[in-house]
Amino acid sequence: MNLREKISNFIAGKKVIKGWYALVIIFFIMLVIVPTLFVLTYAFTGWDEIQDSVMTDPPEIQFTRVQLPANNITFISQDIIDVTQTYSIQVAYETEVEMHLNYTITLLNDGEREIEFQEEVMVNGTGSYTFIARANDTYNYFHHVGDGFHTLTVSNGSGLIETWEEPVTLRSGSDRPWDLVKNALKVSFIIATIVTIIDFTAGLPMAWLMVRKDFRGKKYIDTLIDMPLAIPTAALGFSTAMFWAVTPGLDPYGSLSLTSSPFVLIILLHIVFSYPYMVRSLSAILQEIDINYEIAASTLGAPPLTVARTITLPLFRAGLVTGIILCFARSLSETGGTMAALAMMSPSMGELAYPMKTGPTLIGAWKHAGGFEPQLAFTAMILVIITLILLVIIKIVIMKFKLPLRKVMPGPERLLSKGVFPKMKDALSFLFMFVILIIPSFFIFSFVFTGEPSPVDWDGFWSAMSFSFFVAAVITIINLIFGVPLAIYIVRGTNKMISNILDVLVNVPLIVPTSALGISLGMFWGSMDLGMTTLLVISAHLAFTFPLVVRNVAGAMEELDPTYEETARTLGAKPMFVFRKIVFPSIKFSVLAGAIMAFTRSLGETGATLAVVKDANTVPVYIVGLVKAGDYYPAALACIALIFISFITMMLMRYMTRKAGDG
Amino acid sequence: MPEIRITNLKKAFGDLVAIDDLTIDVKDGEYLTILGPTGAGKTTLLRLIAGLTEQTSGSIFIDGECVDDLPPERRKVAFLSQSYSLFPHMDVWENTTFGPIARGWDPEQVEIVGREMLEMVHLYERKDALPRELSGGMQQRNALARALSADAKILLLDEPLRALDARLRLDLRHELKKLSKDMGMTAIHVTHDQEEALTISDRILVLRDGRIIQSGTPKEIFNEPSGPFIHHFVGEANFVSGVLKAVEGDRAVITGDDGQDYHTQATGIKPGSRVVTGIKTEFTLMTKDRWGVDINNFTGQIERILFLGRFSDFEVKLDSGQMIHARLPGYQATKFRAGDRVNIHYSPERMLVFPEPDGGLKKELEMV
Repeated sequence: MNLREKISNFIAGKKVIKGWYALVIIFFIMLVIVPTLFVLTYAFTGWDEIQDSVMTDPPEIQFTRVQLPANNITFISQDIIDVTQTYSIQVAYETEVEMHLNYTITLLNDGEREIEFQEEVMVNGTGSYTFIARANDTYNYFHHVGDGFHTLTVSNGSGLIETWEEPVTLRSGSDRPWDLVKNALKVSFIIATIVTIIDFTAGLPMAWLMVRKDFRGKKYIDTLIDMPLAIPTAALGFSTAMFWAVTPGLDPYGSLSLTSSPFVLIILLHIVFSYPYMVRSLSAILQEIDINYEIAASTLGAPPLTVARTITLPLFRAGLVTGIILCFARSLSETGGTMAALAMMSPSMGELAYPMKTGPTLIGAWKHAGGFEPQLAFTAMILVIITLILLVIIKIVIMKFKLPLRKVMPGPERLLSKGVFPKMKDALSFLFMFVILIIPSFFIFSFVFTGEPSPVDWDGFWSAMSFSFFVAAVITIINLIFGVPLAIYIVRGTNKMISNILDVLVNVPLIVPTSALGISLGMFWGSMDLGMTTLLVISAHLAFTFPLVVRNVAGAMEELDPTYEETARTLGAKPMFVFRKIVFPSIKFSVLAGAIMAFTRSLGETGATLAVVKDANTVPVYIVGLVKAGDYYPAALACIALIFISFITMMLMRYMTRKAGDG
Repeated sequence: MPEIRITNLKKAFGDLVAIDDLTIDVKDGEYLTILGPTGAGKTTLLRLIAGLTEQTSGSIFIDGECVDDLPPERRKVAFLSQSYSLFPHMDVWENTTFGPIARGWDPEQVEIVGREMLEMVHLYERKDALPRELSGGMQQRNALARALSADAKILLLDEPLRALDARLRLDLRHELKKLSKDMGMTAIHVTHDQEEALTISDRILVLRDGRIIQSGTPKEIFNEPSGPFIHHFVGEANFVSGVLKAVEGDRAVITGDDGQDYHTQATGIKPGSRVVTGIKTEFTLMTKDRWGVDINNFTGQIERILFLGRFSDFEVKLDSGQMIHARLPGYQATKFRAGDRVNIHYSPERMLVFPEPDGGLKKELEMV
């Protein structure tokens, strides 16, 4: 046995392979699962802080009357300012010469004073001047909250006369943070529920059409359904808000301006990107269901609607669970699009002053404002716990709950199965798809072509773009290196208990809202004090894209008969040779699909990025920033560039996977 | 020399014991068949030898070398699975030369071996075809060529003929054995088909619940089964439980639980013991007229006739109430109708005697 053979035998040895799998599992647990769930430990380590900053009522605002001797200046000072309200301070004076009043609010940030508000006026005679920071003013609103000072200086031409300074706290609202969290989560869950119900109602007939019917142009409809998936949600939010909503200061050609309710708009937006998941999950399972059952029921005299309701639907549950969990989790987790849409409906307002907040946007706003660590940890913790519980409940309810499907109503169902009704159902499905999905998704083009061009900061755009691509590329490579072996272990592992547990754990980062995941990751790596923004962003993106690769590859591995691998082994092939020649050729398209999904998801993600570091410069964050600042034209151009890039990757994926289907 | 020695091999899946303390010696060049009902542990045994499953305890030696720690690719054992597992994305040639290439042989040698093997199984002309373009028989031959070209000296065949139609199965049986003998290989062939086992093997091991219950030549297994189970499994049999009354010369007499006397082969069992006696259904004689001799004659009525082509199986209810089966060749079967009164005769030299099994006769005969 020569040296080379010895080495290759060593690499193929059982111990080395076991070691490699152990490494992959440790990677998964330490880099994906533990950071994702780390926030839960805060309930033990930070309970006092939670009680102090989340559960207790904020202190009442104390007002004090201040009188300065010089020029008889009087005003009422307050120790707390609520940034969601318009704030004013009225200064009365008596002067004989021209005098300057300078009012400044500074916040302490790492010991540095940063100016949050500053205004200077020149006054003369007797009167009063009111300094106003409006909650709805583009330039005079508060961006941050925290502790600092407010200062009034009085000066005249010859110099400083007097300075007054007192500590002040800027805070958001007079509600208890707990109430804010409660309301935001309530809004999030109500929206997710409504969106899921609408997705199911509209998605089921569409899935049916795509699987059971043949018509001209089906191929194109099939591609159209997936389109919103290729568009980053920040761009979708921007485009959808422009199409449906009343957006002050922006009225592109063709905008419907139908609603001024953020609640309705967010629902419309979330349908756009969750509907494709529902249709895909339902049609995947529908394809599996043997059409012979339906044929048998039809030949026994059941009208089509009865057949669908009593025969096919009950066989459907697995697909239904997947569809519902995916839609619900996506809606619950979405940040970028929701932020963009809310910003457009309430322009020139601080995020904390928006009339509506969802869980993820509240996390985003708090993270952006800074100084809300206990509140953030608490919100993320609640989100993680509730989604995990919900996942279990949905699974149990759908699998155990008996739908009243046995009862047969031949009369009405026969009527509804004939003539105009089925046609109407099909027509409505298409109408829904075009009006709710396709047009709002692409409405952004109308704005770019008809809107007023304004200068674009291409340097900023390209630097964001290259950072996004760098992150996406790095996480895709790491995902492949560790995700493929983990998928193989989950399906082929000899210890069934470990692989079942891993199988469940893999889904966790998929359903935990990404902003909660980001907070958790930030806490975990923050506690290690690595301090590198890029590393933090990469580890966050790694966690929520990892399941996409594992799920895809595990699905393909389950289809692959293990006897191929075993036979190859007995024929003398070492494990790596078997992987190269037998396993990989059979799963390569799923590996590719998983890689592309991970890549595009990373490219389009906002919530996790913002939650982990507040000033990370990825494209969606860049777009949301532009939208918030009211720079709509550059935002739209950035969106379109991102849409094109995502589109090319998606087309590539479809081309590849279709080839797999043929081959 | 490719001989296999298995000592105290045990394999458990949780609480379920699939292989229970097996010790087997397979001689060089032997064609051994493992026969047993479904779930007896046959496939598990092959997978253990091939290294595809790890044993709970015990050892496997190939050519005197312990292979327990060797991965499958280093055991030089070719495994032919039930479904053949031809790699679907490779053509006949690529499939056949997979083993040599995986072992890193030089291209010329790969070429020679591939050609030789494919010519041997008459598939060289189809070397560019994909597995799905081949008929079942061709797929089987391709899989065989692939297994043989991998330089293995041991061939493990897991129900290799199961997926083929009946006619082809008969032809390929002999081809399989001939090929393995020509190549000087040691073969272990697993099957649940007793006829296949009887025609093809040098030696048969009967496996039940993970244990060997008999080992012997096909003739021994058929004529001298070690217990009622094998007697019944290898050619169906009718049984009676009773007490051994006496043994005289080459005959014994048993008083059956139905009260009748049965004359059987002699046995070494002590008179007075509980025993079971049985006769294969094809030696159960059935006539319309009464049989000439006085012993082992019974009367009954035909309840049901199963037409099996070359044979017919008759279900007869004896007047004692017992249900028995008789198997008659086609030309005789036409004489009988359901409901006919018939005479049944068991020839004493065909009646085998066994001690009564521990769990009773019924449990002993259960297939699973």
